[in-house]
Amino acid sequence: MTWHVAEDDVRAYARGELAPPVLWSADTHIAKCADCRALLASVTDPVALDAGWERLDAELDAPKRGLVESLLVRIGVADHTARLLAATPVLRRSWLGAVVALLVMTVFVTNSLKHAESPSLFLGLAPLLPLAGVALSYGPKFDPTYEMTVVSPLHGFRLLMIRTVAVLVAGLGLNGLATLAMPDYGLRALAWLLPALALTTTGLALTPRLGPVLAPSLVGGGWVAFLLVAHNLHGGTLAPFTPAGQGVAAVVVALTGGLLYLVRDRFDTRSAHPWGAA
Amino acid sequence: MTTTVSAAGLSLRYGSTRALDAVSLRLSEGVTGLLGPNGAGKTTLLKVLATAQPADSGTFTVLDHDPSTTGGRQEVRRVLGYLPQTPGFHPDFTAFEFVDYVAILKELTDREGRHREVRRVLAEVDLSDVRGKRIKKLSGGMRQRVALAAALVGDPGFLVLDEPTVGLDPEQRMRFRELIARAGEGRTVLLSTHQTEDVAMLCNQVVVMAGGIVRFEGTPAELTARAAGRVWSSAERDPGAMAGWRTGLGVFRNVGDPPAGAELVEPTLEDGYLITLDGMVAEVTA
Repeated sequence: MTWHVAEDDVRAYARGELAPPVLWSADTHIAKCADCRALLASVTDPVALDAGWERLDAELDAPKRGLVESLLVRIGVADHTARLLAATPVLRRSWLGAVVALLVMTVFVTNSLKHAESPSLFLGLAPLLPLAGVALSYGPKFDPTYEMTVVSPLHGFRLLMIRTVAVLVAGLGLNGLATLAMPDYGLRALAWLLPALALTTTGLALTPRLGPVLAPSLVGGGWVAFLLVAHNLHGGTLAPFTPAGQGVAAVVVALTGGLLYLVRDRFDTRSAHPWGAA
Repeated sequence: MTTTVSAAGLSLRYGSTRALDAVSLRLSEGVTGLLGPNGAGKTTLLKVLATAQPADSGTFTVLDHDPSTTGGRQEVRRVLGYLPQTPGFHPDFTAFEFVDYVAILKELTDREGRHREVRRVLAEVDLSDVRGKRIKKLSGGMRQRVALAAALVGDPGFLVLDEPTVGLDPEQRMRFRELIARAGEGRTVLLSTHQTEDVAMLCNQVVVMAGGIVRFEGTPAELTARAAGRVWSSAERDPGAMAGWRTGLGVFRNVGDPPAGAELVEPTLEDGYLITLDGMVAEVTA
């Protein structure tokens, strides 16, 4: 070796403070020069060195993130929250794929019925998807780790809300994209949004009393029955999708949202109900 | 010995079924075995003590924390490790990812520290080499060790294990017992099992339950002593015996009240357990 890295630079290198391009030269040289490596070892704080190795070890061990998890981290979701969401059953590709397929079919059928005043089939179906998504994201029937989850110090309601928000964002996002595929209906094609929120919050608010299967099933069934009755009573735009119906949906969101907050502690233990309420 | 977990009058009903009937017990550091036939209420008791299920009545404390309030329950959960009877997994997760997930549930949010803890517990259950393998590709014994590693995250002071050796082959069972014995050093472990061998090998205390009631609480030696003078061998099954079975030597081992002149033999823990359950098994399974 005809040259060596200056001692001050070696010290800066050890502290991680050496800047390019001197850093690049030092990197290349230290890899080849035993004397400089010895100097580096002598000036490096052993505790910091151990910590560095540990960090490297941890980095090598760190699990590779899946598609959903990577996406969440990329948009700024904290690493640990992204992992919690990655374990949400309905955020898997299979579920999202099924939702997309259903929406594509519904939009296709709705667009085929050009004479309709409003896209009733789509508006009726779209609110059910977030309701089902949220219902399938939590509870003993659908979360394989439910039993471990319920005894963890992370509050059950907090986990439920984390998952609910993620599922709603995904579900409402897909519904929104489907809405864009029906430009002929203008803003009328967005009339699913408030009913979707109303059904979801109602389903969640009833879950502590009725359980995570019965509550959303009853709410979903009630929605379908209500639409059928509305259809039989009056053709054209169905009641929930009129301005008055939208107002009622907004009130339901506010009321059931408040109720959900009041019963939040009920999500913290497994109920003694034989069907195992959340 | 200092009491670390104590329960008083815990009762719980599922409809008309009495799952727990005024259960009171005191646990201390070390491994306590919870023995009982199917339907005895063991799993229900573990769920209550693990705060997974509220009791209808009664109280309990875990390491001085009272779970009757939301805050107290949170504190109990912070010192708790729980391995359920059938631990569920996200099958696409690797062993590392799964334990990492449970670590997040246990509020370990700092990535670096959390990963260090995950590596520690996986090493503790001898799974470091397969930490990158997907859980669906692991054997049953390995999955059970992954679940134990998850329970050990955060170094909990109270470890609740619900029949962890069920379904394991003899070698895996031995290995798992070693792990439980290690886990019992310096913490309170409540081990539910229906295998008296588990208790004989691992436990310094034993609780026997049947019909939702605690029938015995003491040391394994005290449970064994209950059968002293009540076990005898004979060439044929003694019809007066409470229980009798042919041993590998071809003679019958009888438990109950021996007839005059019976050839008494040294009792085992299993004999003491059977004597304790005398008449209870029928009651439980009825």
